[in-house]
Amino acid sequence: MIIIKPKIDFEVCVEAELTPELATKSIEEVKKFKVYYGNRIVELGELFEIRKEGDDKKLVLEGDFSRVKWIGTKMVDGEIVVKGSVGANCGAFMKGGRILVEGNADDWLGIEMAGGEIIVKGNAGNLIGCAYYGDAVGMTGGRIVIEGNAGNYIGEKMNGGEIIIKGNAGDFIGTEMRAGVIEIHGSCGFVGGDMRGGEIRIKGSFELLPTFRKTEKGWVGDVNVKGEGVIKQI
Amino acid sequence: MLWIKNGIVVDPKNKINLEKMDIFVKNGKIVPESEIKKGDCRVIDASGKLVVAGGVDMHAHIAGGKINTGRTMRPEEMRVVRNIAGKFRASVGRVLLTAPAIGYEYAKMGYTTSFEAATPPVSSLHTHEELDSIPMIDKAALPVFGNWHLVFKCIEEKNIEKLKALLAWAIERSKGFGVKVVNPGGVEAWMYGGNVKNLDDQVPGFGVTPREIITWLIRANEGLGLPHSVHLHCNNLGVPGNYQTTIESIKLAKGFKNEKRQVLHVTHVQFNAYSGSSWRDFGSGAAEIAKVVNSMDNVTIDMGQPIFGHATAMTGDAPFQFTLHKLLGARWSNKDTEVETGAGIVPIGYLPNNPVHAVQWAIGLELGLLTESDKVALTTDYPNGGPFTEYPYIMAMLMSKKMREGELKKVHQYVQKATNLPSIDVEKTLYEVIHMTRSLPARILGLENKGHLGIGADADIAIYNLNPLETDFSNEFEKVYKAFKVAEFTIKGGEVIVRNGELLKEVYGRTFWVDARKKVDLEVVMQDVKNYFQYYSLQLSNYGVEERWLKKPERLEVV
Amino acid sequence: MQDIVCTFCGSVCDDGEYDLKKKSVKKFCKLGSSKFAEKERIKAPMIDGKEVSYEEAIDKAVEILVNAKRPLLYGWASTANEAIRLGVILAEKLGGVYDQCASVCHAPGTLATIEEGIPGGTLGSVKNRADVVVFWGSNPMEAHPRHGMRYSISAKGLLVKDRKQRKVIVVDVRPTKTAKIADIFIQIKPGYDYAIFSALRAIISGNADAVPSEVGGVAKEKLIELADIMKNAKYGAILYGLGVTQSRGRDRNVENAIKLVQLLNRTTRWIIWPMRGHYNVVGAGEVPAWEVGYQYAIDFSRGYPRFSPAEFSAVEVLKRRDCDAALIVASDPVAHFPRIAVQHLKRIPVIQIDPYPNMTTLVAKIVIPSAVYGIEAEGTAYRMDCIPLRLKKIIETNYWTDEKILEEMLRRVEKFKG
Repeated sequence: MIIIKPKIDFEVCVEAELTPELATKSIEEVKKFKVYYGNRIVELGELFEIRKEGDDKKLVLEGDFSRVKWIGTKMVDGEIVVKGSVGANCGAFMKGGRILVEGNADDWLGIEMAGGEIIVKGNAGNLIGCAYYGDAVGMTGGRIVIEGNAGNYIGEKMNGGEIIIKGNAGDFIGTEMRAGVIEIHGSCGFVGGDMRGGEIRIKGSFELLPTFRKTEKGWVGDVNVKGEGVIKQI
Repeated sequence: MLWIKNGIVVDPKNKINLEKMDIFVKNGKIVPESEIKKGDCRVIDASGKLVVAGGVDMHAHIAGGKINTGRTMRPEEMRVVRNIAGKFRASVGRVLLTAPAIGYEYAKMGYTTSFEAATPPVSSLHTHEELDSIPMIDKAALPVFGNWHLVFKCIEEKNIEKLKALLAWAIERSKGFGVKVVNPGGVEAWMYGGNVKNLDDQVPGFGVTPREIITWLIRANEGLGLPHSVHLHCNNLGVPGNYQTTIESIKLAKGFKNEKRQVLHVTHVQFNAYSGSSWRDFGSGAAEIAKVVNSMDNVTIDMGQPIFGHATAMTGDAPFQFTLHKLLGARWSNKDTEVETGAGIVPIGYLPNNPVHAVQWAIGLELGLLTESDKVALTTDYPNGGPFTEYPYIMAMLMSKKMREGELKKVHQYVQKATNLPSIDVEKTLYEVIHMTRSLPARILGLENKGHLGIGADADIAIYNLNPLETDFSNEFEKVYKAFKVAEFTIKGGEVIVRNGELLKEVYGRTFWVDARKKVDLEVVMQDVKNYFQYYSLQLSNYGVEERWLKKPERLEVV
Repeated sequence: MQDIVCTFCGSVCDDGEYDLKKKSVKKFCKLGSSKFAEKERIKAPMIDGKEVSYEEAIDKAVEILVNAKRPLLYGWASTANEAIRLGVILAEKLGGVYDQCASVCHAPGTLATIEEGIPGGTLGSVKNRADVVVFWGSNPMEAHPRHGMRYSISAKGLLVKDRKQRKVIVVDVRPTKTAKIADIFIQIKPGYDYAIFSALRAIISGNADAVPSEVGGVAKEKLIELADIMKNAKYGAILYGLGVTQSRGRDRNVENAIKLVQLLNRTTRWIIWPMRGHYNVVGAGEVPAWEVGYQYAIDFSRGYPRFSPAEFSAVEVLKRRDCDAALIVASDPVAHFPRIAVQHLKRIPVIQIDPYPNMTTLVAKIVIPSAVYGIEAEGTAYRMDCIPLRLKKIIETNYWTDEKILEEMLRRVEKFKG
């Protein structure tokens, strides 16, 4: 297990594609791991205090990581625990393993996630489990759970996996979704625009678009794309 | 001063085939040995290497509004990083490329001239701003005329002098190079939601037909004696059975004659070479078209070869682009442009196991193989068919039946019955393929100093790490492909700009434009232009591009 | 001087008449005329409020920018392409961020273009052909005063020879000035554009039964009526504005409108286009697109362009305290950005290049006054429909152009980087 703690209040954001793979390396190698500090390439050890405790494939990020981006990018296994808030693009293109964020998460959480699990105890931003700009498919597997509230654009172009928001969410839940499940326990805005498949379940209130037909299954649509997606009130 | 020593030269314009010779360069031109001092020369030892003129791409979509909208639409294309900023510019793009990337990639491949295939006259300044941002190559742009109301009116009046004056005026105002015609009449029909299907269809709102548009423009173009001929994108592009329209269009050249070059160039013929009546019985009409082209002495074509992988359909053929959008359910951009033309953009891809794509791929090759090498230039209609960086793939395929056999195994078997490609044994020679990529396109365009290595030519030279005397082009196609992908040396105007894929020096080429105003009396048409300008949304005095706004304009005057 | 080109709004009218003696312009609207009237200028380059030479100001500015870890280069919408191109190259060389005014304005249109494409046309097509024009969330009578008479309302063209031959519809959340002169005004509940576009698509594609009796405050019958008008148009145009891009839904609103237009094109002809604000905001997006592949929110910190509006729009960068220096060209972020963004602008060194003093001038460490394009300097701008127009130089000045200032900056940066 590697414990990483910011040394300073960063002047600009840091881009650090840290994955649990780092925990299999020696502490010297970890300190030399290259990260972007604005337009400078610096070593992880320059900006962060690093400790190694045991051989678990686990990273513990202690402190305010809200301006550290791309944590957990493309990870395949192991665990990352952020004891604080985390920056944008956390868990991007994740294939496996687990990320736990005890604070809040910023935008673009779990970009095109294919597997694994992300849990955020606080709130999350916009663009959770979505397709990146111009890509045709978003999340295809894995599980994202937000204990708090979430922003806009959740699970857009989803083709598998599960997203659960325990608090409230914004607009554009499951836009152009094809498969997978999104569950909102609180209330939210527009859901299922141009959805073709998959299921969206909402406990609280939401805004149904004028393109869904009521059936025993729930609301089926989006008729504009001859969709067979289902929206359910739970 | 440059001395390229002992290279194996292939220069079809000057009938040089695999001769060991020295090439001398001074002040950006190829000069005789007597004009240089060997001691003062930078020497490039080209022993055992192929030396040819820099490639000439006579039809590519490299600059202007529709290219830029294509980029904007496709961030997934722009995420491929080719060069990190440092001594040179950052360069990105998968098939669609940024302006710096276009210049760098052409240069790495040994190409030194490229022509933007279609620019809406009213937005020529945008095209030129983009061309000016492309480093390394010499360039020009072809303004479009086939759907311009002003052109229709001259033809309605059957007034050849007016049409000639209009062309001269328009080409000067757009700082363009020639007369491009895209789906004549069809784009105007699209303004009403339609298209034209037949050369004798009436264009809505005007008493003209596509047949008349093409024929009159050829007459006017030849009457003016422009360096390039009418450059035609035929009607019915992309429609099964369209090869008939293409043959009919080609035959419109009958009766016209030009000593120096063709009177009609038909472009990306692959997209217009389909037999059948629907996508279900779709097949190849390439053999029929090649036969007609071979039988005529005043028509040239270029291939429009598809390359498997990503591509973007972008043309002035707005109705076709909408049809493609409906067919594929893909994203679609459109730009109806004043009273001049239109455009459309749709992201596409070519998959080897898709029967339609496989046939398209085969058709391009059929055209390249069956048409006489003096009449067919090599293009992909970038980015419609695919990247220009794969021209070496096409070159290698034209020269090797074995390579084609290997590729045929990977594509959908429908190709076997829908095309003749499997049975074509033709293997073009290196001489022919160099002609199709250098001397022929230069001649087609009317560029006397390009595409060859004779005295007086621009010193645009490519040296490839390939010994043509020791290469078995039929069997060593992998080696051939690799050699042409990355030039050992690319020389532009006498400067060594790239070596083995590494950028050495950034230069900016010239923008050629044609001035034929002395051949006409502009007054003959100016009143009509002034009157019609009420239908434009800008002032006539603000229409056009002044030479001093361009970085390095080079005026070709027609006398 | 005749046919001068206006440098205020996206209409970029090019029929102005400049009176050299009176130093004023005729034919332009009030907004345009004000641009050509004499105004207070920044007198000279300044560092920390002290007057210095151009060279000194540029030297100091470059020193700050090359030492920054993530400099933000923002603005660009009110200057010429020649300057914008240098700005993009400068951002690339500095490894900073390039962003332009669209990120708080019409960027949603760009995001929608990425999702769907943009089925559009030039203003001449609207003038000549459009028998139905829908102003959706846009109010040209106030924001683009001469747009209607030149292109879209009373403008006469090839097929529309009379105002009566065109139906002008306004869809907005309140009765605007344009609504008052429109043939039909449909008032909608704020925040429901997206739902209404979905409803129209459903009605037009034969799924009206799924649509409830009211959507976004509009009765179903009214939506059916609107759909009918749209289906029966010979050539329609949706010209949308900030009402759609800066309200709930943003890029998804535009995307949905585009899908509607794509659907309509199956049976008739329609185009859709944004009513751009600044006279060269289009150039501020087109130039970086051809140089580096994207229109705004571009980060160069890794030596190549990366596009991410959620991270690299100026407001997002400032919000996250993700820049340590800023170059503001022809813009006033201090006046327009949210407070949390302005707070950070006050913390970092700001370099401003602008002809006129504004609120950003008050926080700028270095101020570099420039010539006014279209009056004192020549350059190229793109009208809202991307038609290029050449801005004219009418009077002489000693002020340096944005182009010259940026050229000098770039030269020094290139020298520094070796």
